[in-house]
Amino acid sequence: MVTVNSKQNPSSERLNIVVLVKPVPDPKEPPKFKPDGTLDRLSMKLVMNPYDKYAVEAALQLREALGGIVIGVSMAPPHAIDALREALAMGVDEFILLSDPRLAGSDTLATSYALSMVVKKLWSKLGKVDLVLCGVESSDSNTAHIGPEVAEWLGLPSVSYVDKILEVSGGYVKVKKLIEGGYMVIRVKMPAVLTIAGTSYTPRIPTLRDVITARRKQITTLNADDVSIDTSKVGLLGSPTRVIKMWAAEIKRRGKIFTDTDIDRLIDNFLAELRKDGVKLK
Amino acid sequence: MSKIFVYAEVVEEGIAEPSLELIGRARELADKHGFSVSAMLVGFGVRKLADELIYRGASEVHVVDNEVLSKYNLLFYTRAIVEVVENEKPDIFLFPATTTGRELAPRVAARLGTGITADCTAIEIGDYVDPITGKKYEKLLYQIRPTFGGTIMAAIVTPNHRPQMATVRPGVYSVPPRDTSRSGRIKEWTIDFSEEDVGCLEVLEVKRERRKVDLRSAKIIVSGGRGARPEGFKLIRELAELLGGEVGASRAAVDAGWISYDHQVGLTGQTVKPDIYIAVGISGAIQHVVGMKDSKIIIAINKDPEAPIFRIADYGLVGDLFVIIPKLIERLKVAKS
Repeated sequence: MVTVNSKQNPSSERLNIVVLVKPVPDPKEPPKFKPDGTLDRLSMKLVMNPYDKYAVEAALQLREALGGIVIGVSMAPPHAIDALREALAMGVDEFILLSDPRLAGSDTLATSYALSMVVKKLWSKLGKVDLVLCGVESSDSNTAHIGPEVAEWLGLPSVSYVDKILEVSGGYVKVKKLIEGGYMVIRVKMPAVLTIAGTSYTPRIPTLRDVITARRKQITTLNADDVSIDTSKVGLLGSPTRVIKMWAAEIKRRGKIFTDTDIDRLIDNFLAELRKDGVKLK
Repeated sequence: MSKIFVYAEVVEEGIAEPSLELIGRARELADKHGFSVSAMLVGFGVRKLADELIYRGASEVHVVDNEVLSKYNLLFYTRAIVEVVENEKPDIFLFPATTTGRELAPRVAARLGTGITADCTAIEIGDYVDPITGKKYEKLLYQIRPTFGGTIMAAIVTPNHRPQMATVRPGVYSVPPRDTSRSGRIKEWTIDFSEEDVGCLEVLEVKRERRKVDLRSAKIIVSGGRGARPEGFKLIRELAELLGGEVGASRAAVDAGWISYDHQVGLTGQTVKPDIYIAVGISGAIQHVVGMKDSKIIIAINKDPEAPIFRIADYGLVGDLFVIIPKLIERLKVAKS
């Protein structure tokens, strides 16, 4: 749990937290392609990016400790709404879905710009935003760009790879950040953007009741104009990067899974399969 | 001449290896396609490391050496890099895909308003014709990376914005040889940080272990995770020894103190690609997977059939490792004798 030191500043320590959530194709299902070889995202079932669950969990723990509000923000096509319900069932208070065909094809710079405009809108509505949290990366694109890029658009400090939020006190947040071979402890002035690496947070599993309550929570859908997005900076044409080619990765995993309550038989089958495939363990 | 910039990350022992790998790769591309290679060195007391970058292949080193940079500070580092880039206007800017590179590079990119591609596993130079406008571009940076959980590869370009930026995964290129006969230009920059808010982002503590074991040349690695527990690591060591392999670990196992950091595989550990990687009691969190997913064959042993590690495994054994491994060792010993 987070250490709470609210003596110095009791009333203003209530936190307005924005959590950025990306609806992603279900990692458990194989990707689908259009005839031209590009990914057919629209026909794939969308779920909440697993890494964003850690960010949601961190936000909820902060709210439970200090009071405040947790607002989810996503940029996605309208059929992503089921994925957002997952976050609401976990305990996010309300959700904003930025959805606009003009945003399709946005790369990370364009996406972070669009998301930052939603945060700005919330900022003026709520009077302040203290923290913007997101998962360290998404399970489909794995860029880890959105957190630091959103921070840059908002002119805020950011810390990526946050393992744990250690303390919130006097307008500062102290975090443990993962680095090669160890960690750093960093103190950052709020408002700040943190990307959560997840190792210290176990996402809560919603009960049936949570799921039902989540259906009554508000999801506000906004378009680009609602948050004053300059549409020349988004979408395929507003994005500096272009995907010129996609192809199946060379490494195709065999995916042979052995399940047997008789472990001797399981090992027999496994070793026999290795022999068949010509794989030598030594 | 168009310039390739490489960010020279500094760690206690000197220039971080992933940055040297990038200097080497940039040199190869530069020689073939007619670019120059410059290194960007930021920190305090780092001026003395500039020669090393030249010996490894840089023809120019831009140094920002300032006391306020003695501890890593994302905001100050971004500021320093952006100022040099705005003056020098490199065509390409490469960062290592370390935890530092992957937070610093996107901030620099966003401030410059340019595109960036994360965690590339290859970089090449090539031409591009815009299918919409028909405009032809020469010698663009091809930023090649896996996407969609590693099942798809994508080649990405940044046609109209400069610099073209990418972070590149450690270990995909080798550290170039050190040639002390090479010479180059060192340019020192003075940047005024007096307006900056020092307290906005402050590193209070750094704990970092140096690595003594090199897993990258191992043909077989048997790795343990959270599910292995200390007793499991005894079995893992025994299996590794029997197979003539090395022992690896996930960050969870290292943090729990069951094994030293030297053995850690993953984002904050080593990137390995052995012939056979056996993941024992490892769930398959992305931080671990990025360090081993290019292994030729992956074998996973885990009692949770839903564990993500099975999705990237060639062979998955669902069951209790404390039952499976002793029996496997027994069978392999019999086969041996």
